[in-house]
Amino acid sequence: MDRKTKIHNELLNWDDTVRKRKITLSNPVFIKGLALAPLAIAATSLKSSFILSAMVALILTPTRVVTSLITRKMSIPLKTFFYPMVSAIIFGFAYYAMYKFMGTTAFSLGLYLPILVVDPLIVKNFEKTRKESFLYSIINGLRNTVGFIVACLLIGALREILAFGTLGEIKILSVSLLPMAYNSFGGFFIIAIISALWSKMSHKYHDKLIREDASYDNA
Amino acid sequence: MTMLNAIASFFAYTIVAIGAQNVIFTRGLGLSNGLRMINDPKKDTLYFCASFSLFQLINSVLAYFVLPLITRYKFEQYARFVSPVIIVMCCAFSFIVVVFILSIIVSKQVFKKIVLSLTSASINSAIVGTIILTTSRGFNLIETIGFAVGSSIGYFLAMILISEGNRKIRHDLVPEHFKGLPIMLIYISVLALAIYGLTGNAVAL
Amino acid sequence: MNKIKTKIDSISYYDDMFLAMLPIILCASVVYSRRVILICGIAAITARVVDVAMALLLKKDIDAEDKSSIIASITFSMMLPVSIPLYIVVVTVALVVMIGKHVFGGKDVYPFSLAALAMCMAAVNWPENVFQAVRPLTKVNFWTGEAINGVSAPALIKLGGLPYISTFDLLLGNHPGAMGMSFLLVILACGTFLIVNKRITWHVPVTFLVTCAIFSLLFPRIYGVSRWYSLKYEMLCSSILFFSIFLINEPATTPKNPKAKIVFGFICGIMTMIFRYFGSYEIGGCFALLLINATVGFWDRLFENDTKESEIFNFIKKNRLATVSENSSVSQVKIKKVENKVSNNNFNRNQVKNNSLNSNSVKNAKSKDNLSYTTTLDIISRAEDSIDEVEFSTQTIDMNEALKDFEKYSKEGK
Repeated sequence: MDRKTKIHNELLNWDDTVRKRKITLSNPVFIKGLALAPLAIAATSLKSSFILSAMVALILTPTRVVTSLITRKMSIPLKTFFYPMVSAIIFGFAYYAMYKFMGTTAFSLGLYLPILVVDPLIVKNFEKTRKESFLYSIINGLRNTVGFIVACLLIGALREILAFGTLGEIKILSVSLLPMAYNSFGGFFIIAIISALWSKMSHKYHDKLIREDASYDNA
Repeated sequence: MTMLNAIASFFAYTIVAIGAQNVIFTRGLGLSNGLRMINDPKKDTLYFCASFSLFQLINSVLAYFVLPLITRYKFEQYARFVSPVIIVMCCAFSFIVVVFILSIIVSKQVFKKIVLSLTSASINSAIVGTIILTTSRGFNLIETIGFAVGSSIGYFLAMILISEGNRKIRHDLVPEHFKGLPIMLIYISVLALAIYGLTGNAVAL
Repeated sequence: MNKIKTKIDSISYYDDMFLAMLPIILCASVVYSRRVILICGIAAITARVVDVAMALLLKKDIDAEDKSSIIASITFSMMLPVSIPLYIVVVTVALVVMIGKHVFGGKDVYPFSLAALAMCMAAVNWPENVFQAVRPLTKVNFWTGEAINGVSAPALIKLGGLPYISTFDLLLGNHPGAMGMSFLLVILACGTFLIVNKRITWHVPVTFLVTCAIFSLLFPRIYGVSRWYSLKYEMLCSSILFFSIFLINEPATTPKNPKAKIVFGFICGIMTMIFRYFGSYEIGGCFALLLINATVGFWDRLFENDTKESEIFNFIKKNRLATVSENSSVSQVKIKKVENKVSNNNFNRNQVKNNSLNSNSVKNAKSKDNLSYTTTLDIISRAEDSIDEVEFSTQTIDMNEALKDFEKYSKEGK
């Protein structure tokens, strides 16, 4: 498929395009505002954001796959508790695996790992009755995971540099530029700024596609 | 005298949970759900918060009695890994209880409205987070209830402030790329800064 | 006579505010050396530069009349000690003007008091620099700001100590502290000037001061002395008076209605004292003010009269002829045609959006008058959101569903 038809198709099914691009156009954190609690409070350094992303990588896709297989014909109230139940069970195993792998470092985020179990990021929007096929749930889960990991590492790294002048505990700057990046409000603040930049970039991308499409039409 | 002490500790924990340990502004819990609620015109803040508070109260008392059972039966080293499952079970049970209570005491129309927001109010990181906090810090029953009541009041007040902000921020003068989530987060971060003036130190994870 | 009157009218609120601030800057520059002027100048220049830069960045017109950020930056620098490093002033002012003002929509609509926000940010980031108290009439290095430090009375009270300063020194400001907050007589004169000139009304400052006084009389913070002694230091040696005149009266962040103003002042007083008692910083008032600024719209709505003005205001708001913020009054409403914007901007997008509600149906939605307005508004805003592709919630807006809702409501309306 040449570029012209590709762009045209992308624009025609713009909603689908947005849904597919989980890193850029519909990032779960920067565009949709999911999982704000762990990111704004707990992801203060590269290390802690690594722990967070490892946990999300371990539980997001499996939860999605299992629930998509089982909950097809459930009523909404039952579904509401079935999702977190599945994610809690998978979380238990994942947490244990992480504990075996990295020792007590896995516990360093306190309650911010367990609450992922009920975060809208993991328990997909259960009030909607859109059904997912097996394959689609895997692909969508992986996309969401990658989108989250990119956001999480970006936030963690930025906050560590601004607050302590280090990155991954290696000294980079001699001064701390903005000590408040370590606190909760600094976290909200930084997520807000990145989110605005993200939205700007996705708008620019869309405009660019439209311009390119129009230029093909003219030619 | 013990009665007086109990009342005093109840109010102390309530006030701490409202102010210095505010669910949203210091811990960020339940923020994603709250923001979704505010942006959803079908849901009403008042009903959302009312169902949230009732749920929080019943659930935390239930969890106070159920969660220690894990450690009693040689599961001690696994308690950390099993507790989320137990907490979700507690949530499901209290959901049934809350629905039962509401179906008796409120009229049908109000009941319908409340049930709409009850699901997203009950599966909420503010609920789970509060339970984990109260159990891991080893609060007693009075303190647990105080903390639960306080955190639901704190959540309610925070939601009111945020929806007030949402009302104020919705105008065209806000730069295009900041509309929606970013401006809301900046608004929340300023309020979190104000609450930080009360606590003065970073929150313990 | 008329000529003079128009001339006076053309002097804005901010000009008078600057005029009122001048004597304090002069006093400070005598007591704490010329560095005061350097700091104020740098703060004001930074504020102006960031204003212009943001206007260019956001592709807006540069507003020469808008001096709110300059006044806020000078107010902020008056709350700092003279020994403050210059980069702190520059960074804080730039950040606050950018984030606190322009991101929220700029002049007259920003929700938080800029000076208070700046002070809070500086206090949280660099507490060891911000809470230094320089001894008055000592030598201060002009560039580096090295100075002889003392202990300020509020810090002493916070530590549980017993301050002793003669009343005369308290009134004149002859004790270690921030640059401009301790010259009580001068501040009082400036406040009177502003009230007589009708730049600020008496409601907020008087209620605020009275509440603070009663609170500190009822719950004294200094132990082992009489309540009146505690009251004297509570009211005179810390920033309360400066606060009541220069910080909590900013027009953008205060209620418009007199009754609402009284409630606002009362709550400000209580919260300020609570933050000073239990908070971890001496300038509890700034933090409290941020929290209360968030409730301003609520108080205004609570005491709103059904006057003609508010009717017009509501009419414009309902019909979405204009973009109206809660803070702006009728005179400040800038009429913009939202419809044009929707149809022009998104011309191309609508072509590729087959499934969603396009701008025509938005227009139709607006033309139907007999609907419940709120539902129409919700639907329109949802439609506009989806066109702008600002996806905020996880619930991706389902346009077909919205349309169905809309039809359902319109039937019920009939």
